[in-house]
Amino acid sequence: MEAYFYSRLLSKTGGNKRMSSSKFQWLSSIIFLYLVNQAHGQSRGVPHDLNCITHNLKVWDCSWEALPTINHGTYEICVINSSYPCIRTEKTHFEIPALTFADHEIKINSIHVSGNSVIKFILNERNVSLVPATLQDFNLTADFSTSTLYLKWNDNGSVFPSHSSVIWEIIVQYKEKMEVATVATLNTTLIGKDSVHHWNWTSDIPLECTPHYVKIRYYIDELHFFGQKEWSEWSPLRNISGPPVKENYEVFPRDKVVPVGSNMTFCCVVGEPVLSAQFGKESYSFIRLDRRSVAIKINNITVSPSSGTNVVFTTKSNLYGTVVFAGYPPDIPRKLNCETRDLKEITCSWNAGRPTGFFGPRGTNYILYERFSGRNVTYGRAEEHMNAIHQLIFQMITGQEIYNFTLEANNPLGRSEAVILVNITQRVCPHTPSKLIAKDINSTAIFLYWHLSGNFANINLLCEIEINATYSGQELRNITVRGLETSSYHVYMDKLMPYTMYTFRVRCSSENFWKWSKWSNEKHYLTTEGIPSKGPDIWREWRADGKSVIIYWKPLSLNEANGKILSYNVSYWSEEKTRYLSEIPDSQHKAEIKLDKNDDSDYIISVVAKNSAGSSPPSKITSMEIPNEDIKVEQIVGIGNGILFHWNYDPNMTCDYVIKWCNSTRSEPCLTDWKKFPANSTGALVEYDNFRSGTRYNFFLYGCKNQKYQLLRSILGYTEELAPSVAPNFTVEDTSSDSILVKWEDIPVEDLRGFLRGYLFYFEKGEKGTSKIQGLESGRSDVKVKNITDITQKTLRIVDLQGKTGYHLLLQAYTGGGIGPGKSMYVVTKENSEGLIIAILIPVAVAIFVGVVTSILCYRKREWIKETFYPDIPNPENSKALQFHKSICEGSSTLKTLEMNPCTPNNVEVVETRSVAPKIEEDTEIKSPVTDGPEEGSDAEPENHVVVSYCPPIIEEEIANAGGEEAGSSSQVIYIDIQSMYQPQAKPEEELENHLVGGAGYKPQMHLPVTSTIENIITADDLEKTAGYRPQTNVNAWNLDSPDSPRSIDSNSEIASFGSPCSINSRQFLIPPKDEESPKSSNGGWSFTNFFQNKPND
Amino acid sequence: MDLRAGDSWGMLACLCTVLWHLPAVPALNRTGDPGPGPSIQKTYDLTRYLEHQLRSLAGTYLNYLGPPFNEPDFNPPRLSAEALPSATVNLDVWRSLNDRLRLAQNYQAYSHLLCYLRGLDRHAATAELRRSLGHFCTSLQGLLGSIAGVMAALGYPLPPQGAEPAWAPGPSHSDFLQKMDDFWLLKELQTWLWRSAKDFNRLKKKMQPSVPAVTLRLEVPASDL
Repeated sequence: MEAYFYSRLLSKTGGNKRMSSSKFQWLSSIIFLYLVNQAHGQSRGVPHDLNCITHNLKVWDCSWEALPTINHGTYEICVINSSYPCIRTEKTHFEIPALTFADHEIKINSIHVSGNSVIKFILNERNVSLVPATLQDFNLTADFSTSTLYLKWNDNGSVFPSHSSVIWEIIVQYKEKMEVATVATLNTTLIGKDSVHHWNWTSDIPLECTPHYVKIRYYIDELHFFGQKEWSEWSPLRNISGPPVKENYEVFPRDKVVPVGSNMTFCCVVGEPVLSAQFGKESYSFIRLDRRSVAIKINNITVSPSSGTNVVFTTKSNLYGTVVFAGYPPDIPRKLNCETRDLKEITCSWNAGRPTGFFGPRGTNYILYERFSGRNVTYGRAEEHMNAIHQLIFQMITGQEIYNFTLEANNPLGRSEAVILVNITQRVCPHTPSKLIAKDINSTAIFLYWHLSGNFANINLLCEIEINATYSGQELRNITVRGLETSSYHVYMDKLMPYTMYTFRVRCSSENFWKWSKWSNEKHYLTTEGIPSKGPDIWREWRADGKSVIIYWKPLSLNEANGKILSYNVSYWSEEKTRYLSEIPDSQHKAEIKLDKNDDSDYIISVVAKNSAGSSPPSKITSMEIPNEDIKVEQIVGIGNGILFHWNYDPNMTCDYVIKWCNSTRSEPCLTDWKKFPANSTGALVEYDNFRSGTRYNFFLYGCKNQKYQLLRSILGYTEELAPSVAPNFTVEDTSSDSILVKWEDIPVEDLRGFLRGYLFYFEKGEKGTSKIQGLESGRSDVKVKNITDITQKTLRIVDLQGKTGYHLLLQAYTGGGIGPGKSMYVVTKENSEGLIIAILIPVAVAIFVGVVTSILCYRKREWIKETFYPDIPNPENSKALQFHKSICEGSSTLKTLEMNPCTPNNVEVVETRSVAPKIEEDTEIKSPVTDGPEEGSDAEPENHVVVSYCPPIIEEEIANAGGEEAGSSSQVIYIDIQSMYQPQAKPEEELENHLVGGAGYKPQMHLPVTSTIENIITADDLEKTAGYRPQTNVNAWNLDSPDSPRSIDSNSEIASFGSPCSINSRQFLIPPKDEESPKSSNGGWSFTNFFQNKPND
Repeated sequence: MDLRAGDSWGMLACLCTVLWHLPAVPALNRTGDPGPGPSIQKTYDLTRYLEHQLRSLAGTYLNYLGPPFNEPDFNPPRLSAEALPSATVNLDVWRSLNDRLRLAQNYQAYSHLLCYLRGLDRHAATAELRRSLGHFCTSLQGLLGSIAGVMAALGYPLPPQGAEPAWAPGPSHSDFLQKMDDFWLLKELQTWLWRSAKDFNRLKKKMQPSVPAVTLRLEVPASDL
């Protein structure tokens, strides 16, 4: 223990610099004291380990250790060499006033039964520890709404010397487990008297959620104390217990308003287990704080909906909740502007800026504070809308012009402000002027009155008056008026037009312009009438008969008439006399004056317009013109809506130029309108609303010398040319085989619609109704065009045409405006008779020549021909085997035709016929002349008999083709022919045998039946038919094989074909039958026409 | 008064006008005094109309309260809303009630509910919601008048008007509990309207034989309301 004491002394001395100088001396004393104590203490058991502390630097509290054997003894403590009296005590500690900074010898005399012992200690301030007294009395409170702990305590500074530093250490613990929530250190300075210190701390967790405990200790760093300084003991724990008694089970914090982005902990203090926790829509897992309390932690809270975000904890039987409002502190008011409308009250408006997200009681409050006057006005909690304008009205203070406004916005999360300094006389935006009234002064001036509420007595107003007139357009006049208290203002408005409907409206501002007021309502006002400013524009025209002159005038325009024109006065005078016409009403704008053109006297005609205010200056014109013989008619085309005229400058023209015009198709007097141009002009553009395109106008340019007009030029003109509206009417005057003469008429001027530039004549060869000329495709080679640019030409002859050919003709006129419609016509040229004759004669001559040459050749080669085509055939009559019945052969003239040799078989064979085909016999019976005689007989023709008898059909083929329909019909015809051949002869039955015999004569060798059966059944007729020479071919086969065969035509030609020579080898007729299908020349001109038509067109 | 097309407020005004003029219809006066039948009928119709109007209002208001109040299965215990007149009643008790008691209970219930509803109107945060609540309050006021009319027609005295129910939220009344009260107010309103419809239907049937000559039923399609 002593070693410890010593070591402590040593350690303390090490820390003290002031001791370093006397270190050695100090150390030697200690060693000495130690050795003395060691010797006495151990030997007798007397006090040792003297330890001194101080709580307040004024009193030292020393204690020592003593052996139990000396307990219940008495101690006498004396400070050697000190004025302090010795202290007697039975305890092992004593208190002495703080000793000076020096070594003091303390003598402790232990008085007890066993005897006395004295021990001495050297005591120095360095051996004394400063341990501040434990802080017993401090105040701990809590603000549950903010979860803040407030600590308040007294530092007891009066005890300690001033300027000592104090370090306070505070520990906050929470939960049942007494976890450390925070450790805080606080530095203060003692000021020599008691001071109260404050410390607060805001908990993350609502204080209601779980108990919080606080303890505190401190450390005094007294500079003038050289002993050891130590921390005080911890104060006793103070706690803040949870929720209020009334609501034992709750969710905390309650109705909290927090900034967006905050991190928050919500807890539920409840006696039963919590099943779930929900923040807004989302469920959260909770953490247990202690036995009765669970919590959820929400990070970075977003803006709440208008009724706040609900936090709900659910237990088995109930649910508990709270609402949190997350939003923003108020934004700095934007666009703060203060102005006045009437210099009575100031309206400050601003934009709230970013929405706070709070509504109702948590919404933003605004206070408008004026610094100079110290007044303020407040603005209730309005709903927030983005960019919504808020405003407050501040009553102006009399005599104050400069205002310094501060607008403060505050809500539960904070405040912001905006400042504006204004001179209110320069921020005047007056109300809208009202009650606008006009009162006339004269026809060109009025007074304009209006009302403008407000007290503007100290400033001038700048007002703008908008004047609108129908014809003169819009005008703005700015005027400055002195501000009034009475609110009634009026201004003088001049330079107005008489008899004009004006529309006035007014707006005002202060002279130091800030903003215009809104425009007042419009006021319509009609100014009074004034006298017409000028006389009417006049012109005169002589009638064609020269007996009277018509004076025309144009009505005055509104700004010339200056009122409603009531009438016109016309007068005329010469040197001798003056005459007046009666007053002419306004509706009439011409008057006729009886004058004689041939009369030499020149009259001056005057016209005056009158309204209710008076008469216009007179307009004058002379009746006579200066003659001009050198007038040529010119042509002119306008430029769209008008016509541009040019003329040369003539210094003689002193008055003006006049261009008058009329529609050329109208009857006299020709006057539609006129226009006057100044004397120094050299051209004019005449525009007229009623000019119509395609209408021809006559223009007359007059110059004026000494008030007398002279016609200078006469011009035909169009404002715009159009294509003719009708086609020229043309006729064909003459037609020949190669030309056509066409004649046409002029198109009327109304239909021409422009200056005629020429005609286009189209002609095209073609048949009637097939014309393509209407389509007129340019470049078509088959349509010929003639462009006739000589517009005086009225006829056209078209030459080099083809005779007896149809032509389509089309004639169109064209103007500068385009090509008009065409008239078309179809003409056929006449026939060319010479050509026809030549066309006939040449073929005939050629035919004759060919015939002659052929005849000569045939004659010379007749032997060869005979050998080739007609070799000698043995005469059956000379054969004994063939016994012709003489009477038959001789009596029939038809047999002579056998000499014709249409068919010449190359080979012949003479056979005997021994049988007759029974089928033929049946046929014979069926087609018996006896039964069908009259009809068959009537159909029969002698020629047919001859031919058939010469080239009879082959019976064998009938048999072979019995199944064929065509063959059947063919044989039928043949049989009829055969029957009809025999019919007139009416042979008796007994002659049949001879026929049979006759049928067994010479027969061609081809296709003859060779079987005896067939030969046996052949009938007598067939035998007859088969008798003699016949072509050895199958006629029916022609039908099948050759399209050119006679059977392909008709019965007549079929029959005719049998008379034709035919070749067995080729099985074709050597001389082809007449071609029925070849084109027939229906008229004489056909072939020639065709001939010409086939020529390529030129 | 805003009478825009499609506006339920306008339709209510129209309905009220029609109801107001019902007694002037000659057919109704054919038999002299029509009795309480027409007024019972119109009260019944007004009850049905209010049911419809409440459906719309409750949807809006529960959405305003936020989750979990607008969740379909939300059914919290009725803790702090004891002061609200409860429409729930034992069937036997309900059967045992006579017409006068039934009407008196209806009248008293709606008187209280109307006061609470006006409190709701006052603390609603948005203007749109306040407007809807204002319209509904006016309609409910009309129903209260109709019930009073029926009672007068039947010769029943009006129940004594008690003091304004002190249900204003105090400083300790949290926003969450206020929301719970709002929820229960709407729920009780709905239940009361159902009960009233049933009450008036029963009363109507009971009164029907006394007014056999006149049966005018005002059919107001729900979609038009």
